[in-house]
Amino acid sequence: MSRTKVLQAIRDALNHTRGEATGYPTISPFRTQGSLDAEAQLFFNELNRLSANGFEVTLGDIKPHLEALVHGERIFKATIWETPLLQRLQIASHLRALGVDVEPPSASKYDIAQCDLGITEVDFMLPETGTLGLYSRKDKPRVVSLLPRVHLAIATPAALRPDLYQVLEEAKAHHYLVLITGPSRTADIELTVTLGVHGPQRLIVWLLRED
Amino acid sequence: MSVSQPAYIHFGEYTQHVPEGIPQAVRQATQRFATNRAAVIADFPQWEQLRELGSAIRLHTIENLDHYLERLELAVQNQGGHVYWASTADEAREAVLKIAKSHRVALAVKAKSMATEEIGLNEALESENIRVVETDLGEYIIQLAGSGPSHIIVPAVHMRKEEIAALFSQKLGIEVPADPNKLTQVARQVLRERFLSATMGISGANFLVAETGTLVMVTNEGNGRMCTTLPDVHVAVVGIDKVVPDWKALSVLLKLLTRSATGQKLSTYIQFISGPRREEGEFGPKEFHLILLDNGRSKILKDPIGRQVLKCIRCGACANTCPVYQNVGGFAYGWFISGPIGAIFTPQILGPKVARELPFASTLCGACADVCPVKIPIPTILRHLRQRVVEGNGGIPSSIPGYLRLMAAFASGVLSNPWLYRFGSRFLGVFNRFEDRGWLTRMPFPFNRWTQVRPLPRFSNDFRAWWSRRELKSKGNDQ
Repeated sequence: MSRTKVLQAIRDALNHTRGEATGYPTISPFRTQGSLDAEAQLFFNELNRLSANGFEVTLGDIKPHLEALVHGERIFKATIWETPLLQRLQIASHLRALGVDVEPPSASKYDIAQCDLGITEVDFMLPETGTLGLYSRKDKPRVVSLLPRVHLAIATPAALRPDLYQVLEEAKAHHYLVLITGPSRTADIELTVTLGVHGPQRLIVWLLRED
Repeated sequence: MSVSQPAYIHFGEYTQHVPEGIPQAVRQATQRFATNRAAVIADFPQWEQLRELGSAIRLHTIENLDHYLERLELAVQNQGGHVYWASTADEAREAVLKIAKSHRVALAVKAKSMATEEIGLNEALESENIRVVETDLGEYIIQLAGSGPSHIIVPAVHMRKEEIAALFSQKLGIEVPADPNKLTQVARQVLRERFLSATMGISGANFLVAETGTLVMVTNEGNGRMCTTLPDVHVAVVGIDKVVPDWKALSVLLKLLTRSATGQKLSTYIQFISGPRREEGEFGPKEFHLILLDNGRSKILKDPIGRQVLKCIRCGACANTCPVYQNVGGFAYGWFISGPIGAIFTPQILGPKVARELPFASTLCGACADVCPVKIPIPTILRHLRQRVVEGNGGIPSSIPGYLRLMAAFASGVLSNPWLYRFGSRFLGVFNRFEDRGWLTRMPFPFNRWTQVRPLPRFSNDFRAWWSRRELKSKGNDQ
């Protein structure tokens, strides 16, 4: 009954009969895309400002970079999205070779919460704001970019979009999207910026250039 | 009247007893956010164009609210979610309680939400033995302390790190040094445990997209993601004014919101949630429930001037720039929403009997309207509401005390007579008797209305004398 009551109250107040809305403003994108190199540079600069970290990698670099990450961040346990790209890069077997315990993303929330590192792909990158966009699916669950202390995102240039406008126009057909701009942060105690309050403390982005 | 709503808001009385430390802490926070905002906007050449667009989108939406709410409801249902309509705070609380009881919820985790504070949800759940844990760090701290928020974005800004360390030791039994990083790590561990064991997550929303039935949440800490990812049930309580027509409009409003609120180009996490999870393995709740809260908003729509308050996207920029808010803090406004926007929202929802002082809690300097990302004419609405209060509006007497009327009449007499004004200004120096290191801190009645709240700089010069000396000097230099 409240439904009718609320809607009727609104119509009475606005003097409306039921009908279509009119007079909607025209909205267009605010930014156009630059060259790939320029966009990548802009993206990395923004990431740095956010206390995140990003750089370009090639296929051959993956193994040494993983090794540096595992040692530098003291990674003992990790979980990875099971997407075709990440499988092709053989991240899981590289990690196991480094002595890291690898949980499948289908593990329980308790097991994922024990992971030091979560590795995902990205569906979108926004250079202007240093933002990553991630969808949600069984092979790419939401918790991998949320529960572990370190989040490594592996991106390809195909994920670059010029503006939030384009990202949202594509994403509206999907049931879940999260935009991630830097590591988890708060300034709730005496306005001191502190990283890693609930989500990951470290965010690292590798842009994979296969050329 | 429900328990969650105050019977009368004593703004004036509160300003005479502002707790020590509040003005400094609040000013520090507001200045930080205002400075960050200014920097990020200077970096965005199309800002004014974006504001125009944001304003047009919001006005269009509230003027067609019935249409968009019906679209939203249908879209949420198509995504597999449940929609409830609550015309009052009581109905909204009941709807949440019913969902919680049907799932035998013992522990709920909550992301920061103004709508749930508006309806007093925590008290309602706790009276049914359902434990509710606030998970935004600032909200968690004030929940432990048993106090309220002093600022919309940094609710515990009035507490020092030593007080927080003492609170953690007392309530959690954990000894932590008074260091923001270490305190935050302790909160992370304690709350992580709660996130994993809670069966219900409660949130508000920044926007609801009518086109697809999508709930949009903007956060920095990640607690919002936890609350809407780990528990099996997600319940969102959202004001009917939060609806947005489509994703194009959303791209405009998100840019306006995050820059205006904290001076970030985008906040750390923005989630776009359309219904419950589709597959078990992706995580996310099995059930999604949306409670649409009216609680007097539809009534506001009647007044073409007053209704513009519903354009608000809750960024807090008006409070951060407001000289009154900076000096009194958020508690003074008596309800869940504070600052200039609270001063025009609360009286329209709770009525002039309860909140008749709030439209007067402003100097009408106009700074709030200048920063508002959706161009709400706050000073115009304040004047409009003052008129409604003073003109009786249901037999409410004027809120201006007699002595202030007398002083105003006196001032108007003096100010309209140049001779008298000049004569009187010679005596301002008398007030400097009350000086303490360059500031007047304690003045006698009735001037203490000012100094009780904040110090006044000493009267240092007679402007006219200074001007004529300057004129004389420059003439001397010319010759």
